[in-house]
Order: sequence, then C-alpha cells, then structure tokens
Amino acid sequence: MSKLNILQYPDSRLRTVAQPVKVVDDRIRALADDMLETMYDAPGIGLAATQVDVHERVVVIDVSDERNEPRVLINPEILKAEGTERSQEGCLSVPGYQDTVERAEWLHVRALDRHGASFEFEAHGLLAICVQHEVDHLNGKLFLDHLSELKRKRAHRKLTKQSRLTA
Amino acid sequence: MARGRRQVQAISARLAAAEALARVATGRSLTAALPAVLGQVAPGERALAQELAYGALRWYPRLCWVLDQLLERPLRRRDRDVHAVLIVGLYQCLDTRIPEHAAVSETVAAARALGRRRASGLVNAVLRRCLRERTSLQAGWQALPSARYAHPDWLLARFREAWPANWEALIEANNARPPMTLRVNRRQRAREAYLGELQCIGVGANAHPLAPDAIVLDEPVGVERLPGFAGGAVSVQDAAAQQAAVLLAPEPGERVLDLCAAPGGKSSHVLECQPALAELVAVDLESVRLERLHENLRRLGLSARVIQGDAAEPGHWWDGVAYDRILLDAPCSASGVIRRHPDIKLLRQAADLDGLQALQKRLLAAAWPLLAPGGMLLYVTCSVLPMENEQVVRPFAAEREDVVVRMIDAAWGQATDHGRQILSGESGMDGFYYACLVKQ
Ligand SMILES: C[S@@+](CC[C@H](N)C(=O)[O-])C[C@H]1O[C@@H](n2cnc3c(N)ncnc32)[C@H](O)[C@@H]1O
Repeated sequence: MSKLNILQYPDSRLRTVAQPVKVVDDRIRALADDMLETMYDAPGIGLAATQVDVHERVVVIDVSDERNEPRVLINPEILKAEGTERSQEGCLSVPGYQDTVERAEWLHVRALDRHGASFEFEAHGLLAICVQHEVDHLNGKLFLDHLSELKRKRAHRKLTKQSRLTA
Repeated sequence: MARGRRQVQAISARLAAAEALARVATGRSLTAALPAVLGQVAPGERALAQELAYGALRWYPRLCWVLDQLLERPLRRRDRDVHAVLIVGLYQCLDTRIPEHAAVSETVAAARALGRRRASGLVNAVLRRCLRERTSLQAGWQALPSARYAHPDWLLARFREAWPANWEALIEANNARPPMTLRVNRRQRAREAYLGELQCIGVGANAHPLAPDAIVLDEPVGVERLPGFAGGAVSVQDAAAQQAAVLLAPEPGERVLDLCAAPGGKSSHVLECQPALAELVAVDLESVRLERLHENLRRLGLSARVIQGDAAEPGHWWDGVAYDRILLDAPCSASGVIRRHPDIKLLRQAADLDGLQALQKRLLAAAWPLLAPGGMLLYVTCSVLPMENEQVVRPFAAEREDVVVRMIDAAWGQATDHGRQILSGESGMDGFYYACLVKQ
C-alpha cells in the first residue's frame, strides 16, 4: 500500500466529474486500499478518488471513533434522501477551513463493495453527511459550493492567499 | 471529508446513552459501541451514561411498547436517534430514582442537542404523558408478555419450553443488575487474604460458596480501585465461568488446548490453577479479541502460545501433536449472560440459532481428533438453550464410539443427560452449560 497525494483547493482537477468503475478488479481494490491509508493518515473520515486525481467513482469512509470501520463504496448512488440537517464540515482538499453546510439527514444508498457485489444501506448522522460530501467530490463539487455567495468568496480569498504563501 | 470541530464536542450523559442505543439498534454490540461514545462524555457523567444505556436496553422491549402507546403516529425510520432519546427518557421516568423534573428536562435538552426540529417538543410531551399515565401503562404491560417480561417473544417461548419450572426466575435474573464477581489469582494471593484487602479499603465482599477463587462484591467498583489489579492479583469473571478451570483440572506436564479462547478469561484461570503445564495453546479467530487476551496474560504474568486461526480448520495451525485436555468455549447465543449484555435482547434473532448450532457441531467435530486417547474435552457455552448444549453434545456422543460422557459431580447447577446446566441467576451466577467428554 502507499499513501497518495491529495489535491488541494483551488486545483481545477477537483472539478472533474468521475467515470463509473466498469470492473471491480485488483487495480480498483489497490486504489481503495491506498485511499484508506491516505485517509487514515490525513486524518480524515472520508476520501473520494477525485481528491487523489483518479477520476473513477470510488469513495472510502470511516466515521467511527475507533477508526476500525472502513467502508469502500464503488459507484455509490443516493437512491433516496430525506430531511435536512446542518453541521460543520471540513475537507482534506480544503485544509484549515470549516463551515456549516445543510445536507439531507437520512439517506438510502446503493454501491458496489470491494468484490464488486452490490449492497444497500441506510445512513443518518455523520455517515449520511460524509456520503453526501464524498459523492459531491465525484461530481466535481466541493462543500464550499453549498455556502452562500458571500461566504464562498470570503473562503476563496482566505484559501488562495494561504496557497500563495505556501506555494 | 475532515471532521468538523463541532462534531467532537462533549455530549451529555442522556445523549451519549441514546447514541449508544441508536448504534445497537443498527446492529452493533453495546460493548463495541459504548467506549467510543463514553469517550465524548465528561468524565464525571460517564457512570450515569453507562447506567442509562444498560438500563434502557435491559427494559427495551417494554419501553418500546410504552412508547408505541404514547406516540400519536409512529416515528419514521430515519428518526432512530429521536427514538433512542425517547427510550432513554422513558427508562428514567419508569425505572430509576432520578427526580421526574430532571429526567424530563435533561432528556429534552438531549433532544435539542440532536439539532432536530420539533424533537424536543415531542420528547417533552411524551415523557410528561408517561408520568401522568404511569398506572394505566403499567396495567397494560402486565397483560402483554414481551412487555411484562421485557424479552422478545421468541426468546420467552424458548425459555418456557426448556425450563417450564424455572423460566420466570431465569427471566427475573436476566432483568436484574448482575453482581461484580472477581477471581483471585491463586499464584499471588489466598482468597481470604484478598477479602481482607478489600475490607481495608471499605469494599464489601464475600467469598462465593461454589467457586473456590471467586469473590462477589456488594457493589460494582471500577477495577482501578481493586488492590493489586494492575499487577494481576485479581480478574473480573463470573463464578459460573470459573467452573471451567475447576472441571478441566489439567495435571502437571499436560498439554492443553483452549479453542475460542479470547479474551482469555478461562485460559488465564487454567494457567493460574496449574503452573506446571507443558504448554497451553490458545486459539481464536478474531485478532482484535486476541489483543485483549495478550493484555490479560501480560497483566497476570502468565504465558501461552497464542494462535490466530479458525478452530473449525485445525489443518491450518495444528502441529499434529495430540492434546491431553481441550477446552471448547463455543460461540453461542449468550442467552445465559443477558443480564450482563442486555443488548442481546435486540441483537439476537431466532433465525441465528440454527447457524450457531451448526457452528458448534462443526467446532466439536473438528476438535475431537486433536484429543489424545484418555484425554478430556470440556464443551462450554454461556447459553441456557438446550439447542446449543444437549442437542449439540447428544448426537455427537451417540455417533462416535470413542466418546465417553463423564457425568459432572458438582454442588452447583442441575444435571442434564450429558452435562450440567447453571441457570442464569442461580447462586448469583451466569447461565452456563458444561459437558465433559472423555476419549477412549
Ligand atoms: C464465548 S467467547 C470465548 C470466551 C473465552 N473463552 C474466555 O473465557 O475469555 C467465544 C469466542 O469464540 C471465537 N470464535 C468464534 N468462531 C470461532 C472459530 N471458528 N474459531 C476460533 N474462534 C472462534 C470468538 O472470537 C470469541 O472470542
């Protein structure tokens, strides 16, 4: 396994829409393992392939406090979403910035597992938020896009100033 | 995604208990769910959070029935978190001495912290109505067995069928708070001496009359308060589980195999009782649980050969040398330890039993060839269901010519056709089954 490089805002590659995975093979499994390692190391609770510059629909998530419930979602689909909930989010591609985002509070999700088998689950709480956040990435979207125009501009100024300083 | 700052704030005891309950409701065990949740609670509130989580699960089938009576329309599936807060609230109102106003206001605050619109109003209304209508609710649940006995119907039916004369006592024990029982490490202390040490620090305790190393505490205490705990003077283990080492009773120089050994409660007791074994080999499938076994052995100053492997597939790990004694502590429904793990009432399904029995039979058949002629295998479960006990041992003993059942002669439990059963609560013990099988 190896750790991957995480693209940082405002990198335009974060805006790429990812392609569905055609076959779940060893290459995809290796990608998922590398992504898990990268996510745990960061540390984060979710990572989309887009963020490591692979534009295929693969997501890894672990929202447990013990960090022992890794989930791999391939071609995830949100079949149903209900309710609304606001909570603070951060993103491994937008380091140092957090803001409150409104999301659905309950989801019904379908995905393929690492063996290519289809499965479904319900999610609420942090897991539901994280699934939406990662599926957004696969569609080239960031949590910043959910903020008001004003807040988004302010965040952009703050973040680009930061990246100029560290560049 | 990175965790938001607000997602790591401390949470109240009520909210933590509800969170633990919600996790159990989605299929996790309480032992797995609780530590992480308690970690988010201020230290002074942890004991309360734990008591609320255990208590709410202990009465869960009844509390769900009460909630159904009090809700105008059922909650949606995605309101599982609100449901859990309500159950924790009802538990406080019906089964604790927490003052009514505190039970209501603190639970309403927990609902507010969920950040769900209308949840706090609903919780307030439901709890107040519960307090007003307590008497008629009580009459209602008396009439409905699952609510009255706070057990799922299928489990009640099994208990009734298996133990027609004792099932009510068994249920009562399942719903009671279990005692905290210790096992004194014979290699370090005499039981009498340790009782003296406990007395010195004001912990009331008595020797268990039916288990030579067991001490029962008047009230549970944190292990950090127990004299010499870190140095291995004592372990926490029910008196029923302590019968395993007594029955196995290996001789000096013998080789012992402990199958399904993690977290090592029985392995370590065997080692404490017989310091002169040639070897003790401990096998378990789950590496996470084996870490706890290592930890326990280290604390007690004991050593064993530990193997991570499938007990049903000895071909992968067995060195081919037969064992003199085998302890098979088979995975089971845990129907004998419901008082310690009330989440079993939610998690266990009738449909699980067939699979468990098949696994138990497979493990027994796989273990037998590893036993030396003249050797003894001790089959153990913490279940009170004959399906996992007699009905596993009986066909096995009948099919094989080289199996001799040795009847267990003991002052505890009751004889069954092939072994001995302790029913939950009997002499303060957990429900356990033992059978001794000798190889000809
Ligand atoms: C009742 S517990 C054992 C408790 C332990 N003997 C003690 O006294 O501390 C059952 C154990 O069986 C293990 N187990 C389940 N299936 C197994 C298998 N096929 N092979 C080995 N261990 C297994 C579980 O991981 C669990 O630790």
